Amino acid sequence: MNDLLSISSNMFVVAFFLYCAAFILFAVALMGRRWSNRDPVAHSKKWGKIAFIGSTLGLIFHLIFFVTRWIGGGHIPVSNMYEFMSFLSMMVMVAFTVVYLIYRKTLLGLFAVPISIIIMAYAAVFPQEVQPLIPSLQSYWLKIHVTLAAAGESFFAIGFAAGFMYLIRTVDFKSKEKRARRQQRWVEVVFFSVILVISFIATVFIFRASGYESVFTQTKVTGQPGAEQTVTQTVSYKLPPIVGPYQSKIVSYEPFLGMSKPLFNAPSWMNGVNAGRKFNTIIWSFITGIILYAILRLIARKPLGRAASPVMEGIDPDDLDEISYRAIAIGFPVFTLGALIFAMIWAEIAWGTFWSWDPKEVWALICWLFYSAYLHLRLSRGWQGGKSAWLSVIGFLVVMFTLVGVNLVIAGLHSYAGVD
Amino acid sequence: MLQKVIAFKNTKCECGHQNPVGTVLCENCGRPLDEEELKSKEVLEMRYDGMARRSQRANPNFIDRIWNFFASVKIAVYMIVLTLLGSMLGTIFPQENTFLNIDPSTYYKETYGTWGLIYYKLGLTHTYESWWFILLLVMIGASLVICSLDRVLPLYRALSKQQILKHMQFLTRQRVVYQGKIEGDAEEWVKQAAVPMKKKGYRVHTDGNALLAEKYRFSRWGPYVIHIGLIIFLLAVLARGLPGLKMDQHIAFPEGEIKHIPNTSYYLKNEKFTVEFYTEEDMPGEFRNQGKVLPKLFNTEATLYHCTADCDDPTKEPKLEAVAKHNIQVNDPMDYKGLKAYQFDYDLTPILRSVSPSLVDAKTGKELGKFKLDIKNPQRNYTAGDYSLELKEKYNDFGLDENGRPVTKTPNPNAPAFLFLIKGPNLPASGMQYIYFPKQIDKERFQQDAINEKMNGGTPPLMLDVKGMENVDFAMSTTYLNIRVDKVMPFIWIGAAIVMVGLVLGFYWQHRRIWLRIDDGVLTLGAHTNKNWFGIRREISAILKKMNLDVDEKSLDNGGKQA
Repeated sequence: MNDLLSISSNMFVVAFFLYCAAFILFAVALMGRRWSNRDPVAHSKKWGKIAFIGSTLGLIFHLIFFVTRWIGGGHIPVSNMYEFMSFLSMMVMVAFTVVYLIYRKTLLGLFAVPISIIIMAYAAVFPQEVQPLIPSLQSYWLKIHVTLAAAGESFFAIGFAAGFMYLIRTVDFKSKEKRARRQQRWVEVVFFSVILVISFIATVFIFRASGYESVFTQTKVTGQPGAEQTVTQTVSYKLPPIVGPYQSKIVSYEPFLGMSKPLFNAPSWMNGVNAGRKFNTIIWSFITGIILYAILRLIARKPLGRAASPVMEGIDPDDLDEISYRAIAIGFPVFTLGALIFAMIWAEIAWGTFWSWDPKEVWALICWLFYSAYLHLRLSRGWQGGKSAWLSVIGFLVVMFTLVGVNLVIAGLHSYAGVD
Repeated sequence: MLQKVIAFKNTKCECGHQNPVGTVLCENCGRPLDEEELKSKEVLEMRYDGMARRSQRANPNFIDRIWNFFASVKIAVYMIVLTLLGSMLGTIFPQENTFLNIDPSTYYKETYGTWGLIYYKLGLTHTYESWWFILLLVMIGASLVICSLDRVLPLYRALSKQQILKHMQFLTRQRVVYQGKIEGDAEEWVKQAAVPMKKKGYRVHTDGNALLAEKYRFSRWGPYVIHIGLIIFLLAVLARGLPGLKMDQHIAFPEGEIKHIPNTSYYLKNEKFTVEFYTEEDMPGEFRNQGKVLPKLFNTEATLYHCTADCDDPTKEPKLEAVAKHNIQVNDPMDYKGLKAYQFDYDLTPILRSVSPSLVDAKTGKELGKFKLDIKNPQRNYTAGDYSLELKEKYNDFGLDENGRPVTKTPNPNAPAFLFLIKGPNLPASGMQYIYFPKQIDKERFQQDAINEKMNGGTPPLMLDVKGMENVDFAMSTTYLNIRVDKVMPFIWIGAAIVMVGLVLGFYWQHRRIWLRIDDGVLTLGAHTNKNWFGIRREISAILKKMNLDVDEKSLDNGGKQA
């Protein structure tokens, strides 16, 4: 690793901790309003400014990370999952900064900055080496298409943050009415999903730090009888295997909490050598996620939505609705250009056809159709407030599935984006 | 009839203007026309400025009903959502067109089990070519046209003839409202107020004590521009399904060979194919010494030829003229007048192109003569020294049928074999039959010597032998190019460009209008925008500040729904 690249990875860490600090400062700005002997408005204004300076400083270091890695690696760092996710988190901060400068709402930082932090931490799960570009990625369209697509998606992330804040502000957490209860439940589901992602990242890092590894081999027989071919593949688990790969043998198993073999093997429809490992990761995420959620519930002694709602007191819900919509309205043209039109131009040059119904393309189209529906419902059918906020939350889930889920579950031509 | 009379009655405003049926707000003064509506204090519905639309006709006939169906945004959203769900279904398993050579009726069952079979049976393995998906696209297209026409015409009429003095209710029931006392002469105040408005880019029209300020009206056309672009795009996509507008074939080009591109008058020669891999030093630490190879470059040096004469005459060699040369790489296709050649795949298995065997005396080993045998296009007759060789039979892929007779198994030159009739000195007058396998491996596999012994009743006096590798010519590699023609592409790009222009117009500017009137020293201000209410409130607050009225941005908010 050359000097620039090591500077670059240090900058990544600095930016990460600055974002964390900014998040805490935003929390101080809002929660501290009710501390004694102070004027709540002045307090919020002063600490909000400090927090914004913190997040901007983080963004500057993040930009230095990006530039040094670009120069050090010789190509724009958006070509694998680590690079793309760290770029996306940077763009979320850019989008946050833009929207913050328009609306000056301190509260936005409390929800937007953690999105960036989580995406950044998620990026660090992936291998961080600079990989040389394979021929299909050697194009200046890589720069234009990927960066603009990420920029558009980042505004959707801000739309999600503001939309979710709107829900926490407006859902009646005390009501026992059927409609209110349903909304309360779904707010909890969103909280739990975020916790699930956090616990996935935490689990990976804890076991990585402890150097855990277990290895399996899987032998597959393919072909017609009489002309069988056997393929033996090895898979290495970095999390203790609760579930082993389908029809596999243990090569080495590092005991964990008295387990010396997987509790069960993956079912036959998950017959790929990595399917079992991915399934195991999902199980682990749920286990740690449920534990983390339970701890938080114990601390709060009430559903997280209800616990969070007092933070929102005194915030005008109309402003949140407007911010959510505005962020999406800013992001939509950028997303169209970057994720669809420029993607088509590149596809035309690289694959010979502007549209090949590759799963990633289809999911980008699904995102676009979803936000088109959102805009039509809002502009022509008066879906404002709660309905619109729910759509902005669901929309961001669709975006995240497009970015992460497609690579994990479906793959296709974009599979070289390197999810592991 | 009665209905029509009532409708007629209702559309006449007190200002004397006759409005079409379906009008919500008087086209002239903006007064709500419905009596119920008039009593309400709610914020006005300002969509299309309350103009009547074709889809709101009383007593719709059959055509009106179809029009109304497609003019409905609700229906449009349903169609968008259905397309969205359909697209999702298509990504569960790979589509058929992902693969070049599969039999889908068995592939999906074998690879994905029962679910794969169900997926195939439901026709989801070609979701995006299925009738219902294309029907959805066509319906979205129809909806785009009709929705746009239904709205853009009334909106255009409303905006092109605006009254400056509006009804009081029209102003006080806007989403942004201010009312307050002012001092001094009303007309003078209005004149003064026009100054900061003009500075902010408004076009200001005054009429005595009333004022209308407007800016960025073009932003209202954004959605319709988007829809026009989408219609062009969709039409282009649907046109791709028509025959003759599209060509898409994958062709193998062995190095050094000029090959015809079927259904065209073009020929392409792969001069040289290169593949490069990253060295160990280029690779990051994790990848090193793992035996992983990462390609760096695929490059086909290609020359495109155009046939000028004798193209369809099999007896003559076509006359070719080189028209283009290009290094075809993955992100850099050859493009000659819309005929495009893309790097698709490659094969590094050498292919035998020609051999130059020598005719040898089997006993003495003496060389009697030499000739060049082209594997693909051999001549009928050869001469080697004093001997003549007549090619009796050629087998591309030599094999024996169940009766032990030699046959060609496939047309591919996997195991080429040549049966010669050799005539010359010291040979019987009828000649000597000799089978020749140019590839050493085939020679042994099919026992060339044994066959020749059998045909000649003993060891033949002569044999064919290649002396050294300099007499063998290989094509070292084969490149696979994807040859495409797509005549509708320009329309796709034009459509996409128009969509983008519309998006920028519609989303990054907002149409803002401010109306005000002064009655007996009381200022009434109402404002409307199609987006970004926050922005217009801030702007009005700044304008009022210039007029020495300190108004909080938020206090201008009159409630109601924000678009």
